[in-house]
Amino acid sequence: MPSNWGYVFAAYGIAAVALLTYWRHLARRTRALAARRAAKPRAA
Amino acid sequence: MTYARRAWIILWKDLLIERRAKEHANALLFFCLLLLFLFQFALGPDRERLAAAVPGLLWLGFILAGLLGLGRSFLGERDNDCWEGLRLTPGDKSAIYLGKLAGNCVLMTAVEIILVILFGVFYNVDLWTPAAPLALVLALGTIGLAAVGTLFAAMTTQVRARELLFPVLLLPVQVPVLLATVSATQALLLGQPLADVAHWLKLLAGADLVYVTIGLLTFEFVLEG
Amino acid sequence: MTRALGWLAVLGLVVGIAAGFGYAPREAIQGNVQRIMYLHVPAVLTAYLAFGLVLAGSIGYLATRRPGWDRLAAAAGELGVLFTGLTIVSGSIWGKPTWGTWWTWDARLTSTAVLFMVYVGYLLLRSLIEDPDARARYAAVVGILGAVNIPIVHFSVKWWRALHQPSTILGPERSPIDPAIGLALFVNWVAFTLLFAYFLSRRMEIARLEEQT
Repeated sequence: MPSNWGYVFAAYGIAAVALLTYWRHLARRTRALAARRAAKPRAA
Repeated sequence: MTYARRAWIILWKDLLIERRAKEHANALLFFCLLLLFLFQFALGPDRERLAAAVPGLLWLGFILAGLLGLGRSFLGERDNDCWEGLRLTPGDKSAIYLGKLAGNCVLMTAVEIILVILFGVFYNVDLWTPAAPLALVLALGTIGLAAVGTLFAAMTTQVRARELLFPVLLLPVQVPVLLATVSATQALLLGQPLADVAHWLKLLAGADLVYVTIGLLTFEFVLEG
Repeated sequence: MTRALGWLAVLGLVVGIAAGFGYAPREAIQGNVQRIMYLHVPAVLTAYLAFGLVLAGSIGYLATRRPGWDRLAAAAGELGVLFTGLTIVSGSIWGKPTWGTWWTWDARLTSTAVLFMVYVGYLLLRSLIEDPDARARYAAVVGILGAVNIPIVHFSVKWWRALHQPSTILGPERSPIDPAIGLALFVNWVAFTLLFAYFLSRRMEIARLEEQT
């Protein structure tokens, strides 16, 4: 049975990209939120 | 006013509106006819290929008609500013759900009878011999489709992109109903006895029970606001 | 707290990869392709955890009307879709060299695809409603229905497959479990759960802050 490492790396690679992208999406949202909250007077 | 009476009033109102306006019925009837042609053209002139596909096509037809018909369940209330009226109905709101569900089942059953007849005539399929067990499968499938469809229709009536969201929400949930009904219909059309499809019928009955129960329990939350 | 979780998750993933590639043996029948399992199975388990939390959040909101429950459902729903997508993609990539095809309508893949569609619809519904209360209520109803439907889908697909494929294809899940494989799987599952917890925590915090802003 051939090793098929290409497939293994493809699968893990896609997973890594997806998870990293989501993490960056969360980071971006957090930053945007922080900026908005800094711009507004804080509601008690 | 009892629960049952309230549900009945909703059903009667919808049937009366339909009988007078006839908009749903006529359009759906014509839609069924169109579907017949669509399927025939899509599958080509080969008689046997069409006959083999009949169980799937039949249910595809019901579902497509259902998407059109069910999605509009509450449009009458929305367009005529009656939504508040529904919300202010005293007592258990699930009576409204039951009434609407019954109305949708009547509508779907009418569509199904027409489609079955059209299939029998145009595709030359013998749907008369297995009629009784087939009717059972149809009934169970209809309840499943209408139970979730009525609930989601109430939900999406007020939402943007209703026409897109309704099928997107309904179809994945209905996959088990589709699988069960098509498999059972196929077996019945091949002449197998009802006992062979008993597991499918049990699945359908169980699913119907779950769907209707959830509909009854959650409808009041959908109606608020 | 969230930050600590994040670092723990990273640690877990590193250990997991080491376990999956270094510690676990090369599988006898499929070869190294089987190592995708250390990604695929934890992903689907995490997805199920997510959807369980969607159910909990949905019921919680309808019962108490506290927004925290809805935040849980929203965050878990998003993560559920993410991990289900990973499950499907990794399963498909695993299937190509193993079964010779990118996609097959086997019970597991089909059920997972249906699951994916149900919860994408859930997210779509959420995105189309602005009023937070209506959004929470409607999403809760769909969340409950979707979750309760999972076993129904499972059985219907399983029986449907039995109709069309009486001869069972030796799916990747069927290999007898070598203890080393089992351990690597467990480690990766823990890592994924930690990652999920980290993402969930951050996502819920974002939702909470957004509501206040």
